[in-house]
Amino acid sequence: MTTLDQHASVRPIPNPAKSLITKLNMGTGIIVGVIFAAATYFGLKDEDMLSMQQNSKVLLATMFMWSIGFMVGIGAFIGPVRWLIGKDLTDEEQLYLAGDGQGIKRYFKYCTDHKVVGIQYLVGVMTLLGVGGTMAMMIRTNLIQPGSQFVNPAVYNSLVGLHGITMIIAMIIVATGPFGNYIMPIMIGAADMAFPRLNALSWWVLFTAIPVLCSAWFLGGIPTGWTAYAPLSVQAGPGMNAFIATIIIFAVSTAVAGANITATVVAMRAKGMKWNRVPIFVIGATISVALAIPAFPTFMLSMIMTGLDRSFATTFFDANLGGSGWLYAHLFWIMGHPEVYVILIPGVAVLMEIAPVFVRKPLFSYNAAIAGFAGIAGLSILVWAHHMYISGWMPMLNGPFMVTTEMISVPTGLIFLVILGTLWRGRPWMKLPMLGVYAFLWNMLIGGITGLYLSDVPADNYLHGSMYVTAHFHYTLMGAALTGALAGLAYWFPKMTGRMLNERAGYISFWLTQIGFQILFLGMFIAGAEGQPRRVADYSVNFATSDLISTIGAYTIGLGMIILLWAVIHSWRHGKIAPMNPWGAKTLEWTVPYPVPLVNFDTPPVVTSDPYGYGKASN
Amino acid sequence: MSNEHYEMDPTPGEKLKAIFKQRDVQIATAWGVLVTFIFFIIGGWIYPSWMPTALSTDMKAIERLIVIFTWISAPICGIVLGFSIYTFMHRHKGDTPPADGPAIRSNPLVVGLWVIISSALCLVAVVYGLIEMNSATAATAENKTSALVVEVTGSQWVWSFNYPEQGFSSHELMLPVNRPVEFRITSVDVNHSFWPVQLGVKVDANRLQTTVVDTTPNKIGELEVKCAELCGLYHTYMETTGEVMSKADFDNWVTTQGGHTA
Repeated sequence: MTTLDQHASVRPIPNPAKSLITKLNMGTGIIVGVIFAAATYFGLKDEDMLSMQQNSKVLLATMFMWSIGFMVGIGAFIGPVRWLIGKDLTDEEQLYLAGDGQGIKRYFKYCTDHKVVGIQYLVGVMTLLGVGGTMAMMIRTNLIQPGSQFVNPAVYNSLVGLHGITMIIAMIIVATGPFGNYIMPIMIGAADMAFPRLNALSWWVLFTAIPVLCSAWFLGGIPTGWTAYAPLSVQAGPGMNAFIATIIIFAVSTAVAGANITATVVAMRAKGMKWNRVPIFVIGATISVALAIPAFPTFMLSMIMTGLDRSFATTFFDANLGGSGWLYAHLFWIMGHPEVYVILIPGVAVLMEIAPVFVRKPLFSYNAAIAGFAGIAGLSILVWAHHMYISGWMPMLNGPFMVTTEMISVPTGLIFLVILGTLWRGRPWMKLPMLGVYAFLWNMLIGGITGLYLSDVPADNYLHGSMYVTAHFHYTLMGAALTGALAGLAYWFPKMTGRMLNERAGYISFWLTQIGFQILFLGMFIAGAEGQPRRVADYSVNFATSDLISTIGAYTIGLGMIILLWAVIHSWRHGKIAPMNPWGAKTLEWTVPYPVPLVNFDTPPVVTSDPYGYGKASN
Repeated sequence: MSNEHYEMDPTPGEKLKAIFKQRDVQIATAWGVLVTFIFFIIGGWIYPSWMPTALSTDMKAIERLIVIFTWISAPICGIVLGFSIYTFMHRHKGDTPPADGPAIRSNPLVVGLWVIISSALCLVAVVYGLIEMNSATAATAENKTSALVVEVTGSQWVWSFNYPEQGFSSHELMLPVNRPVEFRITSVDVNHSFWPVQLGVKVDANRLQTTVVDTTPNKIGELEVKCAELCGLYHTYMETTGEVMSKADFDNWVTTQGGHTA
């Protein structure tokens, strides 16, 4: 303390109120972003705009300049620039950036506090899920009966693609965004993330991608689905540029966030928190982002190449001029398969964190849980070509890819064992988070077993590209990963908002969404087995029953999600005030009060055991 | 001395027996057996009833494979759901947490057994899949000489079928029964995926590349041909019909189309 006092007295205290950083917020970001974008657009625009190449060049440049302009306007570059000119930010300015004592305003600023970033991610995720869910409702409405023609085929194709990419983006950040930022640093006893400014950067870069993605609608939509296969993506209309720019911007955000989370877990753990004392959610989130770090650049690369093909007439994917569509498929799926585990692992890890608390038993076989996650992550980078069994690329490699794919069932089996072993001989306390654990067991079982058929080459010859695939990956991503994230929301809601989530509304929402989910995707499995291709706007009469069942299930989910949204908003404002540790958990985040102090802990915690010390040792 | 030690440390087999003597394990196992039985029925009868009539050897093999895979996974479902149901039935309600349960941190025997069983089931699935793939490859080699060649071309948003041997083209896919057929598939614009549903084959039509797939239609019946890869605006409507017909009917049809029969 004395050194700090001396430090303060030697240097004159600059008044942060006069500094530029106090003037900047989301509003100035949007203004500067729009100015940058407009200047780029009108600067580059010429009479040649009707040609697709010129059009793509201008639109892509405009979108990137919007993103850069926004980051300039919100003050993302003040820190680096001040450092470069040798006038690094003062302590007072750092404190100001952390949003100390600024109330609600700090959520609209370039705020470095991990708790603010966590809430920003939470609201962002909920918005994306809402938008993606609305598109899902429109898709199912169009499929309610043969020939319903609720939307035209062009709009339908855009709905399918934009629902896909919106949900993929939302699901990638659904657990690591809100909980990885808000809860995880407290869980490991850190004062903040390793790189607080990068943390703010990752959120606001992601934020700039949202208007870009929305602009796809006003540029004519995307005809390709979220897989954006070339050559269809190369010949697609201007909306495709929005898709390309979104992915490139999003990849920057995930790379920054991934590096930050990994560095935080490696370097910032509390004293005594050895690797075998780290809470399993932290392990899962770290493995997930560590898997994302190598995966997403290939998606970014594939999009850069698509953008070049479109705007500079390169021929990466043009078979006519020496390119190959298979090259795109490889780049896409080298990202695409690890990506589903990037989504799944944090959701599962949340449930593994929840189960011991509500069963009052230690996590069963912590080592098996880590082996499961690590095994899944390791194998997942060797399986991508199972998406290409029928593409005609190297049929002789289908066998090896089938073997690696089916091997994933072994580490996935360990995940089931860990959760079942934790439940076994306990008396599960049936609160909302615990219900998610049971929903996960059922949904992941169905999702995993249906994956077995798809991993098999001969069966995939029939099932590939059918509704069966759609049902399968919704069971894993929505039934398992989203259920895990929502259980996490119910579990950590008291810590993040200071209030309890409305239980009655939570239960109603849980049962509506879960039952609706089973109805929806049972119908879709049947439609797929009957031979209905996916991504079709219309279908013949023999699929009418199964599609009607699916649409009824979808509306049930929609109703459940609206109730959940109401419960979250209502409880956030008027909910019962939460005690410090409502569930009696032993992880560190429950040892801090709400509102969580700026540096989380008054005295840095010292860890002496893992957080699963429940129960009496029997032998 | 060593005998005494032996009695104090039971072998894994004895430990396993002891596990199954416990009442809760027995009840959970009973639930598991029930679940396994239900999945056996779903796999054996309900599942195949959703699928369209098989008109080829490949489609028949796929049906068989799906049944067998469901049977392989039925015990997994039994274990997971049996134990889940048991714990769910012993749940704790109320606003205060339950008393702490036993501090079971791990059980190497159970973990080891679990890994061995899941690996074994995985191995069965892998080996069975590889055998099916191998027999399909063998059939391809055998059919090479006698196969009817059909050149399939996908374009936005139409399938066309060229019969080079007979010297004509059509937008309908007619095939003679019991003669191997070799599809040579290509696309003139974007990726499509050629899917004659009842034949159990599906291969992408890649731009300016030819992919080859073969099968043997072995039953007379109606065919649906679809596109299984999103190919732009009217992807939904890129479908056509066809038929597997007797040799005489096929020759007839070839003649009406202006082709020549051998």
